[in-house]
Amino acid sequence: MTRCFEELAAGDVLATLDKGIITPAHIMRWSAAVENWHRIHYDQPFAREHDKLPDILINGSWKQHVLVQLMKDGLGPDGWLWKIQFRYKRMDVAWDALKGRAEVIEKREADGLGFVACRIALVTQRDELSTAGFAVGVLPLRGGRAVPYPFVPKPDYPVFTAPAD
Amino acid sequence: MDKAENYASYQGMEGAPQVAAMPLERDTLRRFVQAVMDHDPVYYDEEAAAASKFGALTAPPLYPVHAFRLPADVPDPLEAVARDANADGTAGIMGVTFGLPPIESPYRRLLNGGNEIEFYRSLRVGEKAVAHPRYASVVLKEGKSGAMLLVTVETRFTTESGEPLLLNRQTLIWR
Repeated sequence: MTRCFEELAAGDVLATLDKGIITPAHIMRWSAAVENWHRIHYDQPFAREHDKLPDILINGSWKQHVLVQLMKDGLGPDGWLWKIQFRYKRMDVAWDALKGRAEVIEKREADGLGFVACRIALVTQRDELSTAGFAVGVLPLRGGRAVPYPFVPKPDYPVFTAPAD
Repeated sequence: MDKAENYASYQGMEGAPQVAAMPLERDTLRRFVQAVMDHDPVYYDEEAAAASKFGALTAPPLYPVHAFRLPADVPDPLEAVARDANADGTAGIMGVTFGLPPIESPYRRLLNGGNEIEFYRSLRVGEKAVAHPRYASVVLKEGKSGAMLLVTVETRFTTESGEPLLLNRQTLIWR
């Protein structure tokens, strides 16, 4: 889905992303894909007894990629995710379900491009805040030039202030 | 008592560039995007990728952070797990400091204080990522629950020819 800057306003939901229930198999698949052998992600007795965790943990590194995907998909193929920042607010464990949401909070034009600042979050099935953050995407203006790729930011591009979590 | 000057020498310290052991391969990419559950065709469909702004099969934007795998000719990090019930499985892993010398401190508990990332371009199949790490900031703080060391590791990721991929600033909190 292509998107242009004028289609969005502050308060709009840019994107949602539902990853469903994350089982131990999902966590193991991610750990294997990135070759992360930390036992808190697949060895339940180690996680519980050694590290005193409630269960094996969903990897923070996986949650990062989900937030990036959330923004990338929301901006569409003509957009570019320029900046993202996030902080983990809780430890998510196996059998938690995670959903992402990106909401437009501010937009500005510069250099013939549209800059969209978003509040981003991952929440659990119990509406607990898992990960909170802020992102800036770049979109073409309606009828305007394409967002350059590779994206080389200029010093006078807008600076947005991240909201409180 | 710990002092800020104990950490002054780390401020701004740069590490040697780290080159990924292997270029990005299609099968590695397939397993990676299946694990993220991101089905964007630019990751696996050559025609779709060629018609996109990427021009070729490409990895998700944040992939370069995970491009640094153990080469085949180093000791097996899981041997420690077989020998030691307390080993956590991370021995030999590059982690988030990408070869920077560890900071000597009395603190043992590590928390992730968050990340700030800027993206410029995605890594293509066949390319190797290069990490250029540095300690951007090392600050000793006194909090209500005692002293803590706030460390920001700033890592630039590029291609081997120096094209910027992304910039990752990760804050580590040692208590």
